Amino acid sequence: MNWQLWLAQIRAVVRLEMRKTFLSRRGLWVYLLAAAPVLLFFGRTVDVMRSREWFDTSVAPHAVSRAALESIQPGANLEDVEARLGEPYSRRVFQSRRHSQTWLSYTDGSNTYTFRFSDGTLEGVSTRDRANFQDDALIYATFFQFFYLRLLIFFGCVGIFVNLFRGEMMNKSLHFYLLAPVRREVLVAGKFVAGLIAASVIFCTSTALQLWMFSIPFHATIESLHAANYIGVTALACLGYGSVFLAAGLIAVNPLLPAAIVLLWEAANLFLPSALKKISIIFYLQSLCPVLAPPEKDMNPLLALLVNSAEPTPAALAILGLLAVTALVLTWSAFRARKLEINYSSD
Amino acid sequence: MAVYKRTYKSYDGPLTPAWSRWMIVTRFSYSRLVGFKTNLFLLACLVPAVGFAAYIYLAHNAAVLKSFGGNFASALSIDGKFFFNFCTFQIGLAYLLVAFTGPALVSPDVVNNAMPLYFCRPFSRSEYVAGKMAVLVYLLSLITWVPALVLFALQSSLAGWEWTRANFWIAGAVILAPLISIAILSLIAMAVSAWIKWRAAAGAVILGVFFLGAGFGSAINAVMRTHYGSLINLSQVLNTVWAGVFRQNLDTGLDVLDAWNALAGASLICLWLLFKKVRAFEVVK
Repeated sequence: MNWQLWLAQIRAVVRLEMRKTFLSRRGLWVYLLAAAPVLLFFGRTVDVMRSREWFDTSVAPHAVSRAALESIQPGANLEDVEARLGEPYSRRVFQSRRHSQTWLSYTDGSNTYTFRFSDGTLEGVSTRDRANFQDDALIYATFFQFFYLRLLIFFGCVGIFVNLFRGEMMNKSLHFYLLAPVRREVLVAGKFVAGLIAASVIFCTSTALQLWMFSIPFHATIESLHAANYIGVTALACLGYGSVFLAAGLIAVNPLLPAAIVLLWEAANLFLPSALKKISIIFYLQSLCPVLAPPEKDMNPLLALLVNSAEPTPAALAILGLLAVTALVLTWSAFRARKLEINYSSD
Repeated sequence: MAVYKRTYKSYDGPLTPAWSRWMIVTRFSYSRLVGFKTNLFLLACLVPAVGFAAYIYLAHNAAVLKSFGGNFASALSIDGKFFFNFCTFQIGLAYLLVAFTGPALVSPDVVNNAMPLYFCRPFSRSEYVAGKMAVLVYLLSLITWVPALVLFALQSSLAGWEWTRANFWIAGAVILAPLISIAILSLIAMAVSAWIKWRAAAGAVILGVFFLGAGFGSAINAVMRTHYGSLINLSQVLNTVWAGVFRQNLDTGLDVLDAWNALAGASLICLWLLFKKVRAFEVVK
């Protein structure tokens, strides 16, 4: 066993791969994926801070009782509503040749209510609550578990890890590695470590920036944000999904098929029986999340019946489970890589 | 004849009429794209239609319904909702078909620098796009509005003239709604195919447009406390448009006009991306 040589070779492969992974044109969209939520939370921060100042100075003095606001029902007349609630803090009118649309906005001191009238008759009411830390923390947890982990990190890992082998085949450059006196297992390990570093740096930075943006309006502390937990879960997601897609890049000519199957399996996790839930990555990741996100409120009642809740796995077990799955998949990938042959014309 | 005497002589045989030249692209793309696997998938996509046809048969067969007992007959209603559900199911299959066949439409021509060879002939860019798009429109029509129309004809024949006259709008809806989805799916597939050379990645992007769009739309709605995020969720946008076409009262959280505008916006973006790549020359950096 020549561990020193293997470690040196892994370092060399990582060094070569880092440049390709971080700076390749093919991987630019991964940065876009990671930047999108940061921009979203930046927008949210600007909106909350701007509206808070405006609310305190211009809207709060016009507060109406919540009971009065909630007593207004669709079908009510515009004049009646104004007579009962008084002058709104905002009024918008859109007049066309045939119809007129009017929006009246009121507040109860914390939430805003916008009444939409069509030709003087109330058609709908939309309520918007003011930002508060507890609600927003729950929204962030839902966003993190249902969108960031399941879609953004998932597709980001597809982009980074599938490219490690399949991208080299597309560029017709994999034979340089295969002709070098490097064990295939070392090559797999080197490529995986490079991909993991790239994915972790990109997505953990994104998580940290999201949390920072999220904390600004509430002056929240790192502990109250559970920043370490979220960043740790992000890194573990990169580890778990990374190993799966590295293997997919090795075995499938078209990695779209395994990616679609894994996507469906992970998406269906909510509805799977407890035993099957455990054969997925998202289950362990969700067990490690600091705040449990509830399923979607607007879910179809039939689907809601199928939701199967399982006890979250203890943190230590979840981490061990993920590490074990990763090790298993990587071992299998290394075994496959030993028999790897390339035929660029068919690949 | 001596070789030096073989001078250039222009082709003087019959020319393909100008109006039908785009079909040449369709013919050749179709033969390259559709093989055994695609045909098998197309056949599999018609299986649900058989199930829906059986449902219509059951709804009109009093003897069979009696054997089930109870008030089973009234539960089986054939209306706009029935055709809406059928078309929704079929368009899901069409989406899968697009993700797997769409990437191979334009990218081979871009990769192999074939664009100048197309456009050095009396052939416009619009004709090229129309020719390629017709392949997808044809394939997707086979599994969406064509079986829906057959189901409508079956229902009409069993329910009689009164039902047909009262529900004739459904025939228009089962053609129009899938055609809207087919148009947007084809445009997305072709734009992605023109920009992404690697087939697998292009397929992933087509899947991603819908999955990520839906996810990001929901995230925008939740984080920004708005409903405008749904405008980038193409599934929801199409669902809203379909609900309007099928006269269904679905609460999708979107205004029908906003949904149409979002569709128009998405189509324009796809066309712009497509025409940026479909050119008679290629800039090599």
